[in-house]
Order: sequence, then structure tokens, then C-alpha cells
Amino acid sequence: MRRRSILAAALALVLALSACGGASVEETAAPGGAGGAVTVNYGISNPWDALMPYYSVSGSNYARIIYDKIYDRLAYVHAGGTLSPRGAESWESDGEGYAVVFRLDPEAVFHDGVPVTAEHWAETFRLMTDPACPTLGKANFALLTGTDENGNRVEGEAFGAEAVDEYTLRLTFKDPTTPEEFLLDKNREFYVLPTHLLEGVDPAAVMDLDLWEAPVGSGPCKFVEQAAGSRLTLAAHTDYHLGTPDFDYLVITVVDKSNLLTALIAGDLDYYAFGGSVTAEDAPAAEAAGLEVLEGTVPNTFFELMLNCEAISDARIRRAMDLALDRELLCRQAAQGRGMVTGSSISPASPYAQAAAGAPARDLEEARALLAEAGYDGRSYTLACTSNRAGLAALIQQNLAEAGIAIEIETVDSAAMFAGMADGIYDMGIASHTPGALPLWFVESRFAGNNNIFHVSDLAPYTQLIQAIKGETDQGARTALVEELEGLLAQERPFLPLWFGAALHVQSPTVEGIDYASSSFSNENVWEWVVRK
Amino acid sequence: MAQYIRRRLLTAVPVFFGITLLVFLLTDLAPGDPTDLLGEGAAGAEEQAALASALGLDKPLPVRYLLWLAGLLRGDLGESVHYGQSVASLIAQRLGPSLLLVGAGVGLAVLIALPLGVLAAWRPRSLWDGLSNGFTVAGSAVPGFFLALAAIWLFAVRLRWLPASGMYASGASGSLSDLLRHLILPAGVIGLTNVGGLLKQTRSACLEVLGEDYIRTARAKGLREGAVVVRHGLRSALIPVLTTLLSHIPHIIGGSVVVERVFGWPGMGSLLFSAISGRDYSVIMGVTAVMALAVLGTGLLLDLVYGLVDPRVRYE
Repeated sequence: MRRRSILAAALALVLALSACGGASVEETAAPGGAGGAVTVNYGISNPWDALMPYYSVSGSNYARIIYDKIYDRLAYVHAGGTLSPRGAESWESDGEGYAVVFRLDPEAVFHDGVPVTAEHWAETFRLMTDPACPTLGKANFALLTGTDENGNRVEGEAFGAEAVDEYTLRLTFKDPTTPEEFLLDKNREFYVLPTHLLEGVDPAAVMDLDLWEAPVGSGPCKFVEQAAGSRLTLAAHTDYHLGTPDFDYLVITVVDKSNLLTALIAGDLDYYAFGGSVTAEDAPAAEAAGLEVLEGTVPNTFFELMLNCEAISDARIRRAMDLALDRELLCRQAAQGRGMVTGSSISPASPYAQAAAGAPARDLEEARALLAEAGYDGRSYTLACTSNRAGLAALIQQNLAEAGIAIEIETVDSAAMFAGMADGIYDMGIASHTPGALPLWFVESRFAGNNNIFHVSDLAPYTQLIQAIKGETDQGARTALVEELEGLLAQERPFLPLWFGAALHVQSPTVEGIDYASSSFSNENVWEWVVRK
Repeated sequence: MAQYIRRRLLTAVPVFFGITLLVFLLTDLAPGDPTDLLGEGAAGAEEQAALASALGLDKPLPVRYLLWLAGLLRGDLGESVHYGQSVASLIAQRLGPSLLLVGAGVGLAVLIALPLGVLAAWRPRSLWDGLSNGFTVAGSAVPGFFLALAAIWLFAVRLRWLPASGMYASGASGSLSDLLRHLILPAGVIGLTNVGGLLKQTRSACLEVLGEDYIRTARAKGLREGAVVVRHGLRSALIPVLTTLLSHIPHIIGGSVVVERVFGWPGMGSLLFSAISGRDYSVIMGVTAVMALAVLGTGLLLDLVYGLVDPRVRYE
């Protein structure tokens, strides 16, 4: 009898655990299915951060692409570097190039129905730059007047974000900046917050508000519910000023990269964020399954070999490495040849592309001569890379060995690699980034006193040129300065640019009108998508 | 028995804290912290330092561990640096799906291993025995992630019978049938990759038991063969089978991390995977604590079940 009681208790426990699982299903189920609502299933390979856009620890595109749905930005940036209105209807330069005036769209409203005004934008900027506010990415605000180099608002100085009238926002900069440059560089970093819901809140406590667990924005989608890091359900914002999305729900699910394509083929997904996950080998399978395979026309990835200039202190050795690399071979291995080899971080799609340094031709003789001249003693350097780039690292190792340079490969995760490079543990590291259209998108943040990831002993030549470029308003003179900086980088080679990739993208026929290429700029035109279900 | 449970619980306490201390040390030893990922590695030193201070990462390691322990004793597992939510609420969201998946996987492994193992032992060198050997070899030799990808390719892509990922389809409103459709592949992979050891143990234990004198006596008394094998043979063979199952539980829980990730199953495994990549220390520690409790609790539960299966076991 006693044993039976225990068995019954065990059975009850099992049933309770099962019920626990079932309850979770009910809680996180996408609403509206029973009523015939149109749901677009959106896959993403990495989870997003907290739903407060100014408190994103990773600051990654995976987080930004989610904020892009819930919150509105000033403009929409196309992959080719052109701009369309979004929160702002139009913009113009002002104050002799030191300011930009934005005319906001008066039709824009928050999800709670409150109109978006210039005061919301100005107050967002004021709040996020409050020294007490623990904003992440605060340095993005440092370009505004009235802030210090870390983006903290300085007491007593005129702050560079003001509401001129109800729908006119004026931003004032420390350096001359055109509206296009500002938007291409920073549009993805700035969102308007519902500051009418933040009145009286202590700036130090802003990030702790429950509001961010069920956020209210003015973007094309409204928050419905989420299982953090796994699944997010959004509903169409029917009053979105650029048009109501053609779906009722957008369900965003984290799916492992290895399963994104199969989930698309199986019909579990209608779209997955950030094209490029499909390889050339998989393309025929995708097409055979009725999916469309598109080739990107604009580079969306920049690959570089980071160098530790303290460990590899002689520029001649770094140049020898540059000459020893067979970039075409590396690009073929890593991107199936869908890329443009480069000797610069300036994107081929940038208006400054003509100033970019070209990719040096492989020259092993010259590389060996440089090594001999530098007195390279045959020491081995450590190359850190993530596991998915181990093949690429092996090729780099082989390339460098042919010139007589020895390296050892360490496979680590991203955090370990960046930490190791910053701490000087590793001598080299393979990294990739989403390129910007401006000439300084890469170098400005990496040649600064507070982020000298390449361990350059004397930053002054770089920072002086960077400041000169930022302060120059004449296009011709600015291009000449960019060329000068490129020359310095080619001479010193603190990092080795490898190639710009424009990868394949697979598209399901269930959704049309997707400007997938622009997702590289962390924005997607969901209000223009046409659902074919 | 109450005294036995008390004693087991007391011995589990240092084991539990030992596990958490070890994981805390290993996590700290791993290079990089959340501040290194800030702004995709392009954040300035001041901003990194401010975040480190806000997260308490600037405090000495023993202090950080003691603070975490103090929080644990208060029932506060801390807050996720990435999701901005309490770790307890994140775990609460993920625990149910994980238990369901692991439970279904283990259940499937037991459902295959027990009857097949008994049949293989009852009729050596028969079709059942061959099938048993096939399962044992395949289950032990094929890695879980490979089986997962192969299953997705076959059942989701080629045949389109089952979904490739997730826990339920959008708009299905969490219906039971939809849940079961999504559960089949990941639970099947967990079950099949763990059935080998269990099957092998069941077969060898049954073979040994079926050769015992009391089995011959039972047959001589005219008992039906089914009753002999199941009532007398299987029951005695269950003890080593339970031992194998017990020793497999941590392995199954660990293995489910990969399966959850591949199938996009919203469980603790995928939460842990993301937390490790993002150095989300509070989440890593919180999930570790829950997993450690699950493993220790399962051990205790199975010890108690021993007594039900084997009358010789006494809790003294």
C-alpha cells in the first residue's frame, strides 16, 4: 500500500511536470491563430538583448533589428547608402554645416496613441545623455554639442538636441556634419522613446522600469509578448504613419544557424534576418524547394585580420604579412568567392571608395625581403578565431608559413577573442563587421585613446587625421585627407583588411517586397512587406 | 525512510554548493566578460568600466561568489545582463519546456530499451537481438547533433511530415497536437542517442536473470512464459537498468543543450548556450543551480524507487 502511494506520488509529479510544460505553451502561444490572423514567422540566429534600445549590452545587429520593429528612427537607410523618410519627413543642413534640422512626420504616433513630437526626441536625447543614466552606447551621443567625449551631458553647456517647434527637431554637432553623414553613421543608434511615460523617473533608474518588459514605441510593430531570448510576438501597429504592415502578427523565433534554411524550406519560417547564412552549396537545394536565391549587390560584411602592434611591433613584419596573404583564395574559401578583396576598411559602396587603398597583390619575395630587413627572428604569433573560421585561419597560417612567418591558431568564442586582443593575449584575430558607408566607420572607434584594440604605440598620427577629416566640409579636401589616412594605414598596417562580402540570401515566396539588403543597416521595411499566404 | 531522505539531502547540500563554486570559478576563468562584447567590441574603456562596475564585476571573485550565494539564499538569482529580466523569471519560462523535452526523451528511451532488451535476452540471436544490437551501436556511435540534422533533413525537409524547429507553430494557440508534432523530432533524438546504453544494460541484466534457478522453477511450476519473463525476469533486471538510467540523467540533461539549440526549443539548454556565449554570468549560475538540483533530485528520486523495485533494499 505504501509503495503504491509513493508510485502514485511519482506519477503525480510526472504529470505536474508535463503540465508545467503545457502551461508554458499556452502562455507563449502566438495569439490570433484561431481567428485566421495573418502571421509572418521570422527567424533569427542569435537572441536579442533587453527591449530597451539604449541598454543593449551586445549592441549587435540582432538586437537593433528587433528595436527597429518596436521603435522608430529618424530615417530609413538603404543598402546603397541612400535615405528615405521614417520618423522625419525631411531634413536639411543648418548652422553652417554644424546642425541638422529634421521635420518630423506629424502622423507618427506611439503604440498608446500619443503623437510623436520633437519634444519626445529631444527629451530622449536629454535623458540618455544624463550622467546618472546608465545608457549603453552613450558615446554615440558624443557628437552632439554639450556632451563630453563619453556622451555625458555637460552641465551649463548648450545641449545639441532641441525641439524648435512641435514637429521640428534640431541637432547641433561639435564638427561640421551633413545630414546624410549623420544618418548613415548614427541613424541606427537613435530611437525615440515614449518620454511621456517617463516623466518624473530618476534617470539612474530608467533602465530598471517594467516598461521595457512590455515596451511602448512608435515603430511599425507593437509588443505583444516574449520568451526572452527565444521568441517574440509583435502585432502590426495599425496607425503606423508609413503604412500598416500586411500582417497581424510578426513572430520572431531564435533558430540555430544550422537550421535556418531547413526551417525556411519546411515552411516553419517565412523569412530569416540577415541574408548570408546560405552557402553556395546549399543554394540549389533551396531553389529546388521553391525558394528564391538572391545575390547581394551591396557588401554587408567586412572581414579583417586584427593585429597586435605591440607584439608585432615592426611595421615591416605587418606589411610582410599583408603581402603574404592570398586574399582571393581566402575569400573563395570563406565566402565562396562572393566578395571583393580589399586593402581598406572603406566600403566599395561608399562615396569615398575612390580614396580607398587597393588590395596588395600577393608577393612572397617582397614579403621575405621585408622580414629579412626587419630581422624577423622566426617567433610564432598566436592567431585567435571563432570555431566557424578555423578553416580560414588554417589557410592564413599556410599563407604566412609560405613567407616564413609562423603562427599558432587558438579557437575561442567571440568574447574571448575580443578580450584577448584587448588584453594583448593574442597577436592576431579574425573578425567581421557590418560596414558603414562613411570613410571613418571602422577606424574612428578603433584608433581612440579609450579603445586602442590594435595596441598602436602612437595614436596621434591617426587621431589627428581623423579629426581633420571630421572637421573638413569641402568634399575634395576631405577625400584628399581620407587618401592620406589610407596611405598611413597601408604603410603601418595596424590591421589587415581582407574583403567585403555580399552573400547569398534565400527568400520564401510567402512574403514579397522585402528590402533584405538594407537589413545590414539594421532596418527592415516591414510596413511594405506583402504577405502571400 | 524519512531519516534516509534527510541524510541524502544533507549530503546533497555540499555537493550542490561545490558544483556552483566550480562553475563560478570556471566561468570566471574563461577569457572575456560582458563588457568585452559591448558595442560589438568597439566600446570605449570608460563605458566598459562603467558597465563592469554596474554589474559588480570590479569586485574580487570571492566577494562576487558570496554575493551570489547570499542572493540565492534569499531566492534572488540576480538579473540577466542581456535580457534585463530577473534570472528566476527567465528560468521559469524555460524550465517547463526543458522538463517536457528531457522527460519525453528519457521516456522514449525507456519505452524502446525495456521491451527490446527483454525480447533480445529472451530470444538471443533472433531478429529482436539483431535489432537491439543495431540500436545499441547506432545510439552510441551517432552524435546527437548529426542525428538532429539528419532527422530535420528527412522528416522536415524531404518528407515534410514534421516541423523543423520551435515548440509550436505560430497561430496554433499552443494546442496539444501541435506541441506533440514539434516534440517528436527533438525528443526522438534525445531518446535515440541515449537508448544504446540502456538497451545494452537491459539485455545483459535480463540474460543473467533468465538463467537463474528461480526462473527455471517458475517455468517448472507451469507459469506462462510472458509472466516468467516480465514478472520475474524483468523486475529483477530493473535494478541495474535503473542504475544506468540514473547515471545517464546528467548526460541527457547536458546533451539536451545541443538538441534544444538545433531545434530552437525554448528550454534551459538554449538559454544556457546563449548565456555562455554572451558571458551572462547570472544566467549561467542560475541555470547551473537548477540543473544541479535536477540531477541531485533525480538521484534521490531513483534511490527511492529502488526500494519499490527491489524488496531487499532497506533505507537504513
